[in-house]
Amino acid sequence: MIDQFRDWEKNRHAYAKAWKEKTGGKVTGYFCSYVPEEILYAANILPVRILGSHEPQDVTEAHIFGMYCPFCRDCLAQGLKGKYDYLDGLLIAQSCLHIRQAYTSWIKHVPVDFSYYLPFPNNVQSPRAVTYLAGEIKAFKTAIEKWTGKEITDQDIRDGIKIMNENRNLIHRLYEYKKKENPPVSGEETMEVAISQQLVDKKEHSEALHKLLGSINSVPDGKNNGTRLMILGSENDDIPFIRMVESVKGTIVIDDHCIGTRYFWNNVHENNGDLITSIAERYINRPACPSKDWIIRTRIKHILQLAHDYRVKGAIVIQQKFCDPHELDIPAISRALNAAGIKTLFLEFDVTVPVGQFKIRVEAFLEMLQEEDIF
Amino acid sequence: MKIPNYKTAPLKCWNKAKEIRDDFYKNYAVAHEKGGLRWSGGAWSFGAIPAGLGDDVFPLTGEPYGASIAFNKQFSIRCMEATEKKGFARDLCSYMRNYWGSVILDEYIDGGKFPKPDFMWQDHICCSHAKWYQVASDLEGGIPTCCIDVAVGPYTEVNENRLNYITGQMHDGIEWLEKITGRKYNDDKLIEAVYNECRATSLWAEICTLNKAIPAPLDEKSMYSLYVLGTLEKHSKKVADFYEELLDEVKYRVENQIAAIKNERCRVMSDTQPPWGFLKVFRYLETFGAVSIGSLYTFGLIGMWEDKEDGSWGPRTTPQQKGIKIKDRDHALKVLADWNLSKPEWQHFYSPHLKSEMMLRIAKEWKLNGIMLHYNRGCEGLSLGIAENRLALIDAGFPVMTFEGNMGDEREFDEAKTSSRMDSFMETLGFSVINE
Amino acid sequence: MISIGIDAGAKFIKAIVLKDEKIVAKGQILAGFEGKENVEKIYNRVMNEAGISPGDVNSVTSTGSGRKMVDFATNSVTDVTAAAKGALSLFPGVRTVIDVGAEEGRSIRCDNNGKIIDYAVNEKCAAGAGAFTESMARALEMSLEEFGSLSLKSEKEIPMNAQCAVFAESEVVSLLHAKTPKADIAKAVNDAVASRITSMVRKVGFEKEIALIGGVAYNVGFVKSIETDLKDKIIIPEYPEYVSAYGAALLIK
Repeated sequence: MIDQFRDWEKNRHAYAKAWKEKTGGKVTGYFCSYVPEEILYAANILPVRILGSHEPQDVTEAHIFGMYCPFCRDCLAQGLKGKYDYLDGLLIAQSCLHIRQAYTSWIKHVPVDFSYYLPFPNNVQSPRAVTYLAGEIKAFKTAIEKWTGKEITDQDIRDGIKIMNENRNLIHRLYEYKKKENPPVSGEETMEVAISQQLVDKKEHSEALHKLLGSINSVPDGKNNGTRLMILGSENDDIPFIRMVESVKGTIVIDDHCIGTRYFWNNVHENNGDLITSIAERYINRPACPSKDWIIRTRIKHILQLAHDYRVKGAIVIQQKFCDPHELDIPAISRALNAAGIKTLFLEFDVTVPVGQFKIRVEAFLEMLQEEDIF
Repeated sequence: MKIPNYKTAPLKCWNKAKEIRDDFYKNYAVAHEKGGLRWSGGAWSFGAIPAGLGDDVFPLTGEPYGASIAFNKQFSIRCMEATEKKGFARDLCSYMRNYWGSVILDEYIDGGKFPKPDFMWQDHICCSHAKWYQVASDLEGGIPTCCIDVAVGPYTEVNENRLNYITGQMHDGIEWLEKITGRKYNDDKLIEAVYNECRATSLWAEICTLNKAIPAPLDEKSMYSLYVLGTLEKHSKKVADFYEELLDEVKYRVENQIAAIKNERCRVMSDTQPPWGFLKVFRYLETFGAVSIGSLYTFGLIGMWEDKEDGSWGPRTTPQQKGIKIKDRDHALKVLADWNLSKPEWQHFYSPHLKSEMMLRIAKEWKLNGIMLHYNRGCEGLSLGIAENRLALIDAGFPVMTFEGNMGDEREFDEAKTSSRMDSFMETLGFSVINE
Repeated sequence: MISIGIDAGAKFIKAIVLKDEKIVAKGQILAGFEGKENVEKIYNRVMNEAGISPGDVNSVTSTGSGRKMVDFATNSVTDVTAAAKGALSLFPGVRTVIDVGAEEGRSIRCDNNGKIIDYAVNEKCAAGAGAFTESMARALEMSLEEFGSLSLKSEKEIPMNAQCAVFAESEVVSLLHAKTPKADIAKAVNDAVASRITSMVRKVGFEKEIALIGGVAYNVGFVKSIETDLKDKIIIPEYPEYVSAYGAALLIK
């Protein structure tokens, strides 16, 4: 059922190269889920999220000091090793400091034709943020036009918004099924869909999602009937970890990750006046990355709502080692979850995780959650 | 090679610097006794803005406060442990953890209970800056907090939209200050504070420029005690006046070849905040006849710089020197935002390569033999891109030594290992300990 | 002309006696808690072996993390200088010296004249040093020699986190639980530690020829991992653990 998505996720580079061959278009890599892809789709550019490979590497020590997160080092390693040699451009939207280093080292040591740093506002709670971001998106659009030599019309932008909105709507529908007693898709399968969402042409991804949603009702009940869990925290595309959790009778029904719900949760208003401002509003109002969640902690309310809607029994809180933004949120979020009666298990992620050790902890956590049913 | 033997003398205005610093912590603590206000926020925040609330408004700046705690190792350890007990990670900013620890323990560095601020006034430069006071407010049971985002890209790329984003937040901030304090805002006081800040920070850059001289009139360890005043209250008349006085004294030292260290034969610079509990490593360096003339950190956190006509790097010309008369609030905020965005220590947040250029400039103009980079586990903001800086300096032919440590958490600094690295570094530069 | 080099390392103290730059005696002793006493013990032992008395010695150069314990030394140099001097004197074509001891690993790059251009030392975590491999060998209940040669028997590539010794250790435990063959585990550990070292080598940059010195060079599996990673042949001196002491002995003062 999800073979297509899994294939995309596993063979992401082959896909992007084939796409380029087929369409003759440009491919740009991007760091961070705050890049307004609507503009790229408007310009017929394929955006692919830069991710790590979860393999130990020894090429980044010269470029990034070891106290920064393993994810940013893993991403940079892919660039230095030439895994993304097909990229025409590289983009970043400003969020945390860690990932920024992968970008700045990459463009210096593995130059690409076009690179762009979008100074995305961090004070998304300020009434000034939308106007400011709209100005930045306009400048970004102009830079893209200059690069491709082709004007991006309002109609193009409308098309870009439609492509993105449709894809977000479809994955939302998939997530709706995860509210069911025995969800037809596992956490692992959902993650394959969510990762590939940021790797392939959204039009193709939407087609595949249509198919998936069309066949989903025929899935027999009882497949994913483990303890309902939420997973939240830093960037996470660690499929073997999710598989391990589900192999010991946990079922991940909802997440708060930038690969996952934070990425697709809200849409751009299609009929709300100025298109660029509408895009800016969408990104300002989306579920926040902790690096932008101040002074009010909006994430707590959002996460508790998710936990309630998806009826979770426990939450696995993961953090990329050294991820400061999440380290600054985790104590408050864990406290809020615990106060709402949702127990938490904290795990620190690295490029590879010690699955065996984590398995023991996850099993113990699940036992603890199940005990409450027994007594 | 003959070992030089320069005249040396202690700084005359040393005690005055100490006095200003002591007053700062005291004034904050006793502000309420005289009906005044207390605010807490970062050393980088736009302190000139709350100055418009009156002359009886006293700040406590978090970074120097965290550094002062680090200096007091016993207290620091207790602060760290208190913070860890609350569930915070050990690898977070160590200034922040010291500050939180002081709040949690309810102990002030000067003795007594931690004086609770009336409001928090911060700006967001790194991932931790806004969150620092978000957590501090949680710990204090809720304190009105305002934070201005300044992350609009490097100074060379500032445009109207970017500047407006910052000044817009500043205008909102002033309305917020009026609302939470119930005071009427005084634009004249704001304008005066902006002038003071420009004067103080340009003067500090001018003082650092004098360190191009051989022998260097100042060594970095002493500079820490002087530049810190700018991190406390860069917008105050007191600090600006002090830097005028210091400038005269340093000029005198240059003219009369009064050296910071008597055997100066090797000039280095450091980078990022030092491990505050172990400043003696600088004294160790001196046994080789090596002086650290400063760093981009000591020069460019408080100092404001520009390209001079002769191509050298020097103090930024102030609005008052240019004959600019600040007309009103909006004008003052624009000047303040523009001035701060040119801060050298802000540029590397967008690209380490911008920082490498400035470091190379210092290495050449201040005539350095080598560079010591502190890979500072305590500050993700200033260690950002440091490995790229290393590569660029080596590429340009400058010998580089790195040492790992932490500005505020002494558990992460290995003194013996650092000295042994210094030994190797000095050995490769061709210097050995001077035996007298 | 008699010169002695003493390398007071974290685990062993090594001493070497040169007569007109030729090795006439060498020996090592566990550093233990009585470092200073042991320095004297080994000093006397190598003099005995060489058939000389203190009066015959023209120069004693100390090096190593414990070099300050050698209070009778006439000269003292850092590990970096001693390692480079020793390796380049043995093999003049060497430009990159990798030195892996019990608690520290370092990589040194030299120019054609033997001058040090750049070097790096591993940061705090001990995953990139000999002591870690040793404890992993203990976890697999075998000697370091067995560990090394067993690792050569594996072709498997099991990714293991080398960023953190604690994480790596728990991964080893997981592999043991999963009944992974010991040869594969040994290779995974050697690959991981080697990657930590090569990461440092890449930090300073490397040029041919490359020499590996320090006790870890006896671990043949580790050497193979380094060679595979750097895609180059590595020179191993006959007595890799004595190279720094030898270099020190050559630095007469």
